[in-house]
Amino acid sequence: MTSIITSKPLSRRTLLKGVGAAIALPMLDAMHPIFASVADKSPVHRVAVVYVPNGIVMKEWLPNEPGTQFNLPRILQPLAPFRDKITVISGLENTATKKAKGGAHAKASGSFLSGMPPKYTAGPDVRAGITFDQVAARKWASQTRVPSLQLGLEDSRMVGNCDTGSSCAYTNCLSWKDAETPLGVEVNPRSVFERLFGTVDLSLSPETRARRALYRKSILDLVRQSTRKLVNTLGAGDKRKMDEYLTSIREVEERIAVAEHDDRVPTVDKPSGIPFAFPEYARLMLDLQVIAFQSDLTRVSTIMFGREGSVRTYPEIDVHDPHHPLTHHRGHPDFIERVTQINCLHAELFAYFLKRLKSTQEGAGSLLDQSIVLYGSALSDGNSHSSVNLPLVVAGGGRGGRYISAEPQPVSNLFVDLLNRVDIPIESFGDSTSRLGTGA
Amino acid sequence: MEAMSAGKLSCLVVLSVVACGAPCAADEASVFEFVRTYCVRCHNDKKTSGDLNLRALEIPGRRTFDESREAWERVVSKLQTAEMPPEDARRPEVEEVVRVTQWLEAEFTRQDRTIEPQAGRVTARRLNRTEYGNTIRDLLGVEIRVAADFPPDQAAFGFDNISDALRLSPVLIEKYLNTSERAVRTAMFGPTKLDPAITHYPFPVRINLARDQQALPKDLFHYDYSGLSMVYSAHVAHYFPVDGEYSFRVVLNGHRPNQSEPAHPALFIDGLLAKEFEVDATDLEGQFVQTRLKVEAGERLLSVAYLKVFHGLPPQYNGPEPSKRDPSALLSNNAEGELTKEDIEVLRKLGTKIKTDRVETRVDNRFESIDIGGPFSQRTALSPENLKKVFVCGHGPGEHTSACARTILANFADRAYRRPAKTQEVEGLLRLTALVQEQGDSWEEGIATALQAILVSPHFLFRVEQEPDAAGGNKSAPVTYYELASRLSYFLWSSTPDAELLELAKEQRLRRPELLANQVRRMLRDERSRALVENFAGQWLQFKNMDVVRPDVRRFPEFEESLRRSMRRETERFIEEIVRQDRSVLEILDADYTFVDERLARFYGVEGVEGPEFRKIDVGGTHRGGGILSHASILTISSYSTRTSPVLRGKWILENLLNAPPPPPPPSVPALDEAKAGQPGSLRQELEEHRKNPECAGCHARLDPLGFGLENFNAIGAQREQDGEPVDASGTLPSGQSFRDHHELKQILMEEQDAFVECLAEKLLIYALGRGLERYDRPALAKITDRLRARDHRFSELVLGIVESMPFQMRSADQTEDSP
Repeated sequence: MTSIITSKPLSRRTLLKGVGAAIALPMLDAMHPIFASVADKSPVHRVAVVYVPNGIVMKEWLPNEPGTQFNLPRILQPLAPFRDKITVISGLENTATKKAKGGAHAKASGSFLSGMPPKYTAGPDVRAGITFDQVAARKWASQTRVPSLQLGLEDSRMVGNCDTGSSCAYTNCLSWKDAETPLGVEVNPRSVFERLFGTVDLSLSPETRARRALYRKSILDLVRQSTRKLVNTLGAGDKRKMDEYLTSIREVEERIAVAEHDDRVPTVDKPSGIPFAFPEYARLMLDLQVIAFQSDLTRVSTIMFGREGSVRTYPEIDVHDPHHPLTHHRGHPDFIERVTQINCLHAELFAYFLKRLKSTQEGAGSLLDQSIVLYGSALSDGNSHSSVNLPLVVAGGGRGGRYISAEPQPVSNLFVDLLNRVDIPIESFGDSTSRLGTGA
Repeated sequence: MEAMSAGKLSCLVVLSVVACGAPCAADEASVFEFVRTYCVRCHNDKKTSGDLNLRALEIPGRRTFDESREAWERVVSKLQTAEMPPEDARRPEVEEVVRVTQWLEAEFTRQDRTIEPQAGRVTARRLNRTEYGNTIRDLLGVEIRVAADFPPDQAAFGFDNISDALRLSPVLIEKYLNTSERAVRTAMFGPTKLDPAITHYPFPVRINLARDQQALPKDLFHYDYSGLSMVYSAHVAHYFPVDGEYSFRVVLNGHRPNQSEPAHPALFIDGLLAKEFEVDATDLEGQFVQTRLKVEAGERLLSVAYLKVFHGLPPQYNGPEPSKRDPSALLSNNAEGELTKEDIEVLRKLGTKIKTDRVETRVDNRFESIDIGGPFSQRTALSPENLKKVFVCGHGPGEHTSACARTILANFADRAYRRPAKTQEVEGLLRLTALVQEQGDSWEEGIATALQAILVSPHFLFRVEQEPDAAGGNKSAPVTYYELASRLSYFLWSSTPDAELLELAKEQRLRRPELLANQVRRMLRDERSRALVENFAGQWLQFKNMDVVRPDVRRFPEFEESLRRSMRRETERFIEEIVRQDRSVLEILDADYTFVDERLARFYGVEGVEGPEFRKIDVGGTHRGGGILSHASILTISSYSTRTSPVLRGKWILENLLNAPPPPPPPSVPALDEAKAGQPGSLRQELEEHRKNPECAGCHARLDPLGFGLENFNAIGAQREQDGEPVDASGTLPSGQSFRDHHELKQILMEEQDAFVECLAEKLLIYALGRGLERYDRPALAKITDRLRARDHRFSELVLGIVESMPFQMRSADQTEDSP
């Protein structure tokens, strides 16, 4: 199976040149300096989110005893090797969905990481809020090649409304750059690779590559000039479009500038396609995330194991029924069992991610110790579309070994804490009411 | 202004009408009386439940039905779905609700007729990925694989060509830079030489279903000599990056009984036999055959099958043309199937490669995998057609004069910008070529760099339209001739205007009615109008989703890659017929013909169709019947992977054929539970139970029966009489109309043809304009549908109606404050 993608498994060949070296880059001014700029790197300086759709079978998830003596129920079992690195959290609510209209799944994923209710629309006028991962991405944007990665494991090329009149943007995306800009997920491993390492043809001589880079800059220069002339003749709507174009041109120019000072080249094979089997596909995408963190190509990534409302079947573990209808099990034990199996598979893949992060050393600690990794779903019980008592695990960041059974409160309270932990000194976020401490 | 709420205005009443006579008549006073009786207790100035104060809407002498249209639309929608009044409040009789909602809807229609039409404004439209790929193809003659290289464009109103949703990101700019470089270099310097690589495809589990079969199927009536439609075959879609030679290594598996004639595995490319092999063996596991073939670039369907798989078996199998191998070579054939030394000797003499541990009785030859290697002997020579598209001054390579640069760049920019390039623009491009040459690169490198700049310019990537000349207080003005040419070509071809359109624009003749009509007809007949089928119809009817559906392999082993393609192609071919042959759009609802290839014909049980070409067949009077609802593609995309869903199918019909999408389920009511999957018969009961809940009943009374009407087709569109128990495909709509099966359901839909025509016209207008519709588009829409009805519903009349309409021909001036 592996050979469809690359002749060798990635994991054994992922050592990159210049790993861990904090590369001296010209400190470009962050484009949106909404938060006070802090020291270059804090001890914890990476954020990852692993999202699973359609809720989780809670009775197989929730530990019994809050504190340090908690048990790991069936779905959390795969995380046993990382017990001291994870904090299981219950009691948090996706309060923003209450203020929103539209399909339950769209509202759930559409507000999960922002704490802002998504606007009910199937048109282009989508609106929610900046997500907490993007707040972190803004902080580090100028210091890495790629500001953030958004990955998915489900082709989002579906047409039509996604959830009873709600835009597909809400169910197919997790990260929002700002209130109006959902960030689409990249599902093709090859494209992820190209985002990280570019499409530069390494067979060309360094001189030819340098000349081509110069031409590119001249091309961008020329089109920028002609766009400026054009803008003066346009009405407001068209102007906004051209502004977006100019902003994008500027960002690409900045990336070219960063790349000129950065000659890291990939030593992994470029993946050629999407693996057929789901677990293999997931592991390949998680590997790419680890590589991106390891070589500091980005510090923020989110991955959706499935779009919210996913109807994927999992023949690999003998679950042949589509996921979403299964979660509307109405208490039927057979269906609950199958959903649990899917939940367990997802948790195993998450454990694989943690294992990769933990076994990759950087400086004094592991990647896992330097990262905050959030795992969970925007729904708890999929059967009733419940958005209270969300299933959440926070891993890494040098903490763990606890189960926190919190009083009911917005999940945004957790995001305030997570952002504080990466040295973003905010006091509120989304619809937060306070900060949920996850300290030891 | 608020966009029309997904077309609910005109269509919600469809199929929810309760038959009634004279007492239906309502008037303004009775509407207010109704509201006072049932609504204002909760929706008043003090207690504004749902942010709605209905008491405030009753003001004598004020036109609140017009001024507060949105509030009234909400009233209608909540009443029609029986969501309001709530269960614990006093509830009106159904007839009363119908009376009030009908009056309000009639009032809305009346208002719509009096709206002053406006042209509307669509902002600069970025080419979506399909349009970008087609445009590059038409400009340079280079194919780009956009689906693999570009992220999907965000869709709105069901289409991915909506201006406001087509955002731009740095990632996209990088892709444009890379792609344009590659395309220009391919056109000017020839394709890059690719290193040969191997792709391995293991064949999926469905093959295992053929495992250990020991006898022939009882019914050989549908025996497929090519083997392509049998579970023994395997199919995979592979992308061949360039024209060239490729190697194919097919690994076999399974068995063939002793003394059989040799097996004949065969390789098919796009359904055509490319290579036949012969393998003389009993145990096929690990045997392989290989060959090398020339293949043209592009995505191709590779199939492997055993030709005449049931031929040449030993006589006791009772297959056709039994094996002529010496029947006297009888084996001892003991109960365990063990072979004696003598047996082995006998079989060796026969020259059959055998497994020496047992007598082989299984007929389960199948395929394990295929490896595709290449490209070998790739053509990297320049294509003269490509060169001609760039080097318009007519000189050979190396013979260009410096004056050529200006000619070449001006010509290319004219075509790429879809209007004459300005001198200033050409000067900028010339400076770029000079800069490249100063760096020591060739003149051709300079041209290539300038072409690349053209292809990332906003004038190319966006269709920017000039601000209308608002002089003299004109609210709107016609778009320029060049802009009109682009509007036409991107509407009908999803690509750039051709030379003929640009010439007519230059001569300022494109707006002459008879000439415009001729152009539209020419464009619809052109190959490129296939884009309208793929992009418009593919998204409207959602059959583009055929590419991503994954029916459960255990339940539907017959569903494989070739059937998937044939299903999708049927619907495309069907819509193409309506477009190219200018047929009535009502045939989409019901027709007496469809298109099949051999694979689909076998699936449908239609005899006498051979080969991979699609042909028109008569389906009048057949059980399956015609029209889109009989297409396996539509029946598949509106099902779950394991089973049918009457709710999904009902929703599909309401949304896509009648433009009456159901509203979201009211808060706190869980989405319908259909999870009693695989428990025969219970789904209908379950849904009936669900409809007892009045909050659910409003919508599900419309949704469910429509879907049940298609229950004679399973989740991949195969006909069935049984689903655990006999299928009941009857239903009764809220209107009281009832039907026994899908044929009668189609008749009912034909009676709703006005709703269908409005639905289609609205969707096509959205697609043509690249924006959602507004209330002021209502008059234009009404004209388009009137014309269509008056002219036999011919497709070209629909397109012409749109092309001649005000919003297509004109553009409103910018009315925002910061405009120039």
